[in-house]
Amino acid sequence: MKAKVCSLILLLTLCLSVSAFAAPFDPETFIYVSGAGSPQTLDPAAAYDTASGEIIHYIYDNLFTYVGGDLDNIGPMLATEVPTVANGLMSEDGRTIRVPIRQGVKFHDGSVLTPEDVKYTFVRAMLADPAGGPIWMFFEPLLGVQTMRDVIAMVGGPEDFADISEVDPAILRKAYDVVDATIEVDGNDVIFHLVDPYPPFINILTKGGSWASIVSKQWMIANGAWDGNPDTWAKWYDQAIEEMTLYEKGMGTGPFKLETWDKSGDQILLSRFDDYWQGPASLKNVVIKNIPEFATRLLMLRAGDADAIYVAQQDLPQVRDIPGVTVVDGLPQINNTVLFFSFTIPIQGNEDLVGSGKLDGNGIPSDFFADVNVRKAFCYAFDYEAYREEVALGAGEIPKGPFPQSLPYVNTEQEYYYHDLSKAAEYFKKAFDGELWEKGFKVGIVYNTGNTARKTALEILEYNIESINPKFQVEVIGLEWATVLDKLRSASLPVFIMGWLMDFPDTHNFAVPFMHSAGTFAGYCGQGLIDLAKEQFDELIAAGIKATDPAEREKIYFELQRLYVEQAIAMPYIEPTTHRVMRDWVQGFEYCSAFSANFDLYNISKVQK
Amino acid sequence: MLTFIARRLLFLPVVLIGVTLLIFVAMSFLSPYQLVSTYIKSPEELKNQSLDDLVRKYGLDQPVHIRYMNWMKNLLKGDLGYSVSANMPVTEAIAKRFPATLELALFATIPVVMGGIWLGTISAKHYNKPLDHFSRVFAIVGWSLPDFVFGLILLMLFYGVLGWFPPGRLSMWADSIVLTGDFVRYTGLNTIDALLNKRLDIFWDAVRHLIAPVITLAYLWWAYLLRITRSSMLEVMNKDYVRTARAKGLTERVVMNRHVRRNALIPVATVSGSMVLGLLGGVVIVETVFDYKGIGLLTATGAQQLDYTLVLGTTLFYGLLLVLINLVVDVLYAIIDPRVRLE
Repeated sequence: MKAKVCSLILLLTLCLSVSAFAAPFDPETFIYVSGAGSPQTLDPAAAYDTASGEIIHYIYDNLFTYVGGDLDNIGPMLATEVPTVANGLMSEDGRTIRVPIRQGVKFHDGSVLTPEDVKYTFVRAMLADPAGGPIWMFFEPLLGVQTMRDVIAMVGGPEDFADISEVDPAILRKAYDVVDATIEVDGNDVIFHLVDPYPPFINILTKGGSWASIVSKQWMIANGAWDGNPDTWAKWYDQAIEEMTLYEKGMGTGPFKLETWDKSGDQILLSRFDDYWQGPASLKNVVIKNIPEFATRLLMLRAGDADAIYVAQQDLPQVRDIPGVTVVDGLPQINNTVLFFSFTIPIQGNEDLVGSGKLDGNGIPSDFFADVNVRKAFCYAFDYEAYREEVALGAGEIPKGPFPQSLPYVNTEQEYYYHDLSKAAEYFKKAFDGELWEKGFKVGIVYNTGNTARKTALEILEYNIESINPKFQVEVIGLEWATVLDKLRSASLPVFIMGWLMDFPDTHNFAVPFMHSAGTFAGYCGQGLIDLAKEQFDELIAAGIKATDPAEREKIYFELQRLYVEQAIAMPYIEPTTHRVMRDWVQGFEYCSAFSANFDLYNISKVQK
Repeated sequence: MLTFIARRLLFLPVVLIGVTLLIFVAMSFLSPYQLVSTYIKSPEELKNQSLDDLVRKYGLDQPVHIRYMNWMKNLLKGDLGYSVSANMPVTEAIAKRFPATLELALFATIPVVMGGIWLGTISAKHYNKPLDHFSRVFAIVGWSLPDFVFGLILLMLFYGVLGWFPPGRLSMWADSIVLTGDFVRYTGLNTIDALLNKRLDIFWDAVRHLIAPVITLAYLWWAYLLRITRSSMLEVMNKDYVRTARAKGLTERVVMNRHVRRNALIPVATVSGSMVLGLLGGVVIVETVFDYKGIGLLTATGAQQLDYTLVLGTTLFYGLLLVLINLVVDVLYAIIDPRVRLE
């Protein structure tokens, strides 16, 4: 008995002694617990996901920034002025842009920023051009192409090649010369030469665009990156992301230095850069940790071990009433979620989704959604308000077309679809000359498993469509993301849902993926949409991006928006807003919808209440 | 015995080649565009991505047998490939994550085995009495409880309410010392490294983070060991030699400890071997709930993202563990029961 009592006392002593090591409030350390994944790379030339963009945001600076988070107010950052036609830094035709570079700015290693660093940043990124990366945003305005492969083809090289070593070195040199000529250093200025006017070019270079983070040429070369030699660049072309110099390193001019990326612990440690050109940040240490389990994140927030956490929209009610926790919601985002239709659906091997492949009541034909009446009927069958209120919990706006309403050149008065089953029935009756109404149809509509909000959206559609006519059968099917990707590639999904996050705040960034024949979604929606886009949209989109007169741009994008809605190309159904959840001791929170970073930590401080 | 061990070790490469071949055969059912999901992890990342470029870049369009041969060539050079889901080479991922799992398994094994055997002994000794019923119900509740539910209850109680045992492997303050200070990583096991670095504060912090996951694992496994120990004990208690021991006038304690329990331990040793293997292979749910970044979570994440290089690497590693632990269990038989001769 004595032994048992002693054991119990020992256990209690142990518990109390270990609890004594709990960390006290530390005003200089900020801990953000994310749950949305870890960064894929820290190299600005390759990073194209928000988790990577967040870390890059703190380590690097861009030439420009959004002042106070206002997308309409671009101010200088590593530049000293924002080029405009009025101040003479931008040519009348918008094709030559001169950027004066700030002097005396230091990198984390103490070296001083020069215009050569700025040129190296962009040229190196274009020459590296990792597949699937963000560098198309430099190629398009500067050279009118999308990739380095296109540049090689442009100077007489092969249209396609398996390995760059197959390409003639003389061609590679020509390709280099073309890229190099797009950016010029003139004294303390850097001059960008655009192939055509490109109004959002300054946005592409602005903070929030991790791809345009300025790197140190000297440090990069010393650490094994491209050495600046025109004849050797191919060695660094399209490397695997883990082989790129900045994959797990960081050397910028930003307010925080990279201490370590602890991959096994899924966390990144940053420390204050005391020589930051705008003055040191208030926070000394930053920890960004990824914990996928919400319950664990929630307990850390409650205990004060996390200063801020990621909370999914559906979990928001669980944090609203926690004492000492601040929820900032309704923050605008420039993105939208869209239900797409495939205009030409393959039948063979796709029977689980298209059934018989015929208009016989047991399936759908390949051109089912090529009939505008079917698309319109689907658009009228969806209950947008119910989704917004019940699923999105009020966090979002009902769209007016493919362009989020907070962008410029969007017609907020555009008539859009609304929930009206009688109108849906009217269009179903018109479809296929009435044959559809008579025979009915059966279709499988797909979401990627795990995404309950998208599943519910499809269930709303299923319920409404099936209530219109008993011969209409809609089956909501969950597929693993890998399978969804495979089926997207072959445009095999009759209906699918995707979101589009803005790269830069301009309508063009939505017009291309949603409406251009070579855009991201046209490829997933079948040849029918590609043909339609070529015929009706491509020319307008090209005119929209080349126009420098805002009135002209507005006219073009209004027309694109009208055409998209009128023809029900797809069904945008929510423009979600976002939120941040933090302890109330976090001060100085400022939001910018263009930033990947959840918190602009330079402005953040901690004050215990 | 040495011949037996050598023969088993020779068998190892055959097992490993077999499991990797199985994985490659399973992979042949996946299209290149399914495999590219390793690089594009969600619909939101499907920006201006050219799926064909990614497929070509990572050689996903090559036939499975070519990929297998390439993988084998690299394996012979000691290169298990690069894991996209772990963001590091596979060997490094295993080397960094396994110590965490090993530490958890080491701390969990003692309470699991001791507690299970103790509960089993009590049940057998008090066969069909209230104590037997109580210990069985107690253990079976643990067996029936989903591990994520019990883990979350513990996390809520010991961290959310009492603030004693936080999730993760170390607190942030300790992590910053371990990651950026002069702290030397000898083994990757936080408790041992802390002692070797003479950092008692970090040692206690590491222990503090281990307690809740260990309790969760222990409670889940007790029922299993209790049942095996109990039935084995009951069987042995009816043997002639036990009756003889009692007839000789030995005390009940001596009879139970020396004659019954020792002989009842053979099946327990078998089960304990597979249990240790299970623990070393990683306990995905417990690792998820307690944010304990071990090898189980690593493998599960890799498999979900079709990160086949990681899955192959960890499978090889598990195969190695499986053969070695089974070998240890076989050797243990001989030690526990000298009548068992491995030859």
